[in-house]
Amino acid sequence: MTTHVQIRDLVVEYSSGGYPVRPINGLDLDASPGEVVLLLGASGSGKTTLLSILAAILTPTSGSVRVGDAEVTTLRGAALTRYRRDTVGVVFQAFNLIPSLTALENVEVPLRAGGVKRKVAKARAKLLLESVDLAERMTHRPGDLSGGQQQRVAIARALAHDPPLVLGDEPTAHLDYIQVEGVLKILRRIADDGRLVIVATHDDRMIPLADRVVNLTPRADVESRPPVRVELVAGAELFAQGDVGDLVYVVESGEIDIVRTRDDGTGEQVAIVKPGNYFGELAPMFGLRRSAGARATEPTVVTAYTMRDFRDRFQLVTPTETLANAAD
Amino acid sequence: MLFVSLRDLQWRRRRFTIGVLATGLVFALALLITGFAGSFHNEVKRAVDAFAVDRWLVPDGASGPFTSAAVFPAAVADEVAQVTGVDAAAPIAVLRDSVDLGSRTDVNVIAVTPGAPGSPAVRSGDALSRSGEIVVDASTGLDVGDELDVFGETFAVVGTTSGVTYYAGTPTVFIPIEDTQRLAFSGQPLATAVVTTGAISEFDGFQVLTNDDTIEELRRPLGKATSTIDFLRVLLWIVAAGIIGSVVYLQAVERTRDFAVLKATGTTNGTLAIGLAVQAIILAVAAAVAAVVLALLLSPVMSMDVEIPTSAFVVLPIVAIAVGLLSSLAGLRRAVTVDPALAFGG
Repeated sequence: MTTHVQIRDLVVEYSSGGYPVRPINGLDLDASPGEVVLLLGASGSGKTTLLSILAAILTPTSGSVRVGDAEVTTLRGAALTRYRRDTVGVVFQAFNLIPSLTALENVEVPLRAGGVKRKVAKARAKLLLESVDLAERMTHRPGDLSGGQQQRVAIARALAHDPPLVLGDEPTAHLDYIQVEGVLKILRRIADDGRLVIVATHDDRMIPLADRVVNLTPRADVESRPPVRVELVAGAELFAQGDVGDLVYVVESGEIDIVRTRDDGTGEQVAIVKPGNYFGELAPMFGLRRSAGARATEPTVVTAYTMRDFRDRFQLVTPTETLANAAD
Repeated sequence: MLFVSLRDLQWRRRRFTIGVLATGLVFALALLITGFAGSFHNEVKRAVDAFAVDRWLVPDGASGPFTSAAVFPAAVADEVAQVTGVDAAAPIAVLRDSVDLGSRTDVNVIAVTPGAPGSPAVRSGDALSRSGEIVVDASTGLDVGDELDVFGETFAVVGTTSGVTYYAGTPTVFIPIEDTQRLAFSGQPLATAVVTTGAISEFDGFQVLTNDDTIEELRRPLGKATSTIDFLRVLLWIVAAGIIGSVVYLQAVERTRDFAVLKATGTTNGTLAIGLAVQAIILAVAAAVAAVVLALLLSPVMSMDVEIPTSAFVVLPIVAIAVGLLSSLAGLRRAVTVDPALAFGG
C-alpha cells in the first residue's frame, strides 16, 4: 500500500482574462507514506490545482508527477480510471456527498463503481463508517447530518478502496472547532496507518497535525538588505511575468518598459517608468507573482530595495496608494 | 450503480411524477387519436360488410355508391339479376338526412329492399319487412320500439345494428326503398346503386365495384383527416420527447457536481450515461403505463368512436423507450462531458 510521491519541475499555466497565469511554476516535492503534508497558501496560489493534478483530474503544462510507479501525467483511459479509483482518495471541501443517498450508500458508491459486489460493498462501507464513529448515522441522508459528520462520511468514502494516497481539499473549511478536532484526528490516524495524506488548506489550526508544510504563496523577503544597484543594457529583462517578486525598483536613469504578455504571445504595454519613479511593489507587498515583465528600453540603472527598506525610505507610500499607483 | 439513479428518482419524486403525468397525458392523446384513426379505418369496412353483398354497381362516371348521388331506374336491378353469376340483385339508395336524436344529428340513410341483398343483419329486433319500418345503428341511442322522423315521416324502429357508421362516426339507418322513393324522389322508382350477391364483372352503362373498391372509395373523403391525425401523432411524440428530454436534462444539470465527484472517484462515463438513460427509460415506461390507463378511462367519454388497436398498446412502450433514450441524449452528453475538476472547490 505504501506509495511515494515525487513531483519535479511542475508547471501549470492557464489563461485568465486573455493573459497566461502560472499558479505553479517549477514546483518540486517529495512525500512519503505515513506523512501528513500540508499545502498552505492564499487563494489562487495553486493548492487545489496541485491536488487536482495528484488526483489525475488536471493535466499540468509540464513537469513530472510520480505516485508510486505511475507517472500520473500520462495516464489515460482505463488506467486513469483505475488510478482515480484505487490509488487516490479525495476528501472535498464541500463534502460533495450525493444528497439522495444515505451515508452508507455514499460510501458504497465508489465500491460498486469498482465492481465490488453489493453485499461486500455494504459490509466494507459499514466498517468504514464505524471507523469514523458514524455507526449510528449510516441510514441518514447528508441533509440530516452536521458538517463534521458529512466530512467524516466523505473521508470514509475516500478510503473505500483503501488508497495509499489521500488528498484533502480544505477539509476543515466549513467546520467549527469541535468538528475540526474530529476530522484532524481521523486524518492523522489515516496517515499513521501508512498512507500519505496531502491536505490543501489555509487553516493554520492544521499545522501541528502536519509532518511537513509546503507554502505555495510567494513570500516577500522581509529581511532588511542594503539596496542593490542594477545596470541594464538596452533590451535586458529585469524580471519576467509570473516570477516570484521580493524587490521594489526605483529607476535612477534610463527607462523601463512594463509589458504584460497575452495568451497569443503578444505584449501589452502597461507603463513606461522614467527616472525617479518606482515599480514592482505589488508582488512583494501582497505575496503575488509578477503580473507583468520589466525590460530596459535603453541603457538603464535601477536600485532594488526590499519591501521593508522601500517602506522605510518612501514612508508616504500606503497600501492604498500602492494599489492606486501600481504599474505591475 | 443503478441504485444511484433509482435513489435520485426517489429523491426528485415530485418532478418525476409531474414528468410521468405530463408525458403520460401526451402519450394518451397519441393513443386516443390513434384510436380515432383506427375508428375511421374500421368503420368503413364494417359499414360495407353490413350489406353482405359481393358487387356494387353505379352508373358510369359516378365515383361510388356512398360518394355519388347519381340516380337511375331501380328496375336496372332486375336486369342485373339475370346476368350469369349473379345470385340476386337489388336496388339501394344512399342519402343523408339530419334527425332529432335529442339534438340535431346527421345520419346516413340507406334505402334497401326488405329481404333482398343489402338489407342489414340486425343485432337486436327484426329486419325490415314493410313500409314505415326502420333499422337504426345502436350509436343513435335508439332501441326497438322507438320512433324516428326521417325525410319528414315517422318510422318505427324494428331492429338495431352495431357499428354501422361512416364519415367519422355518423350513424347509419336503413329504411325500405319504396319509402325513400316516395319521400326523397317524388315517387320516382329510382336508385343510386345496385348490389348483388354472386359475381358480375361488367354491365353496360355501369361500373362494377368489389367490396374492396367500395371500401377504398368510402375512405377517400377522410384521407386528409387521417393524414392530419398521423401528423399530429408525430407532433405528440415530439412533445413527449421534449418533456422527457427536459426532465432528464434538468436532472443532469442539477447533478453536475455529483457527476464530477463520481468521475473524480473513478466512475466511468459509460456508467454515468447508463444511469441517466435508465432514468429516461423508467420515466418513459411509467408514462406509457399512465397513458394506457388514461386512454382507457377517456375513450368512453369521447363523442367519437375510439378504436385503439392492440398493436398500439404493444408498440407504445417500445416507442416510449426509444423516445426516452433519444430525448435524453442532451442530458447524457452533459453528464459525460462534466469536468471532474468541478468536484474541487467550495
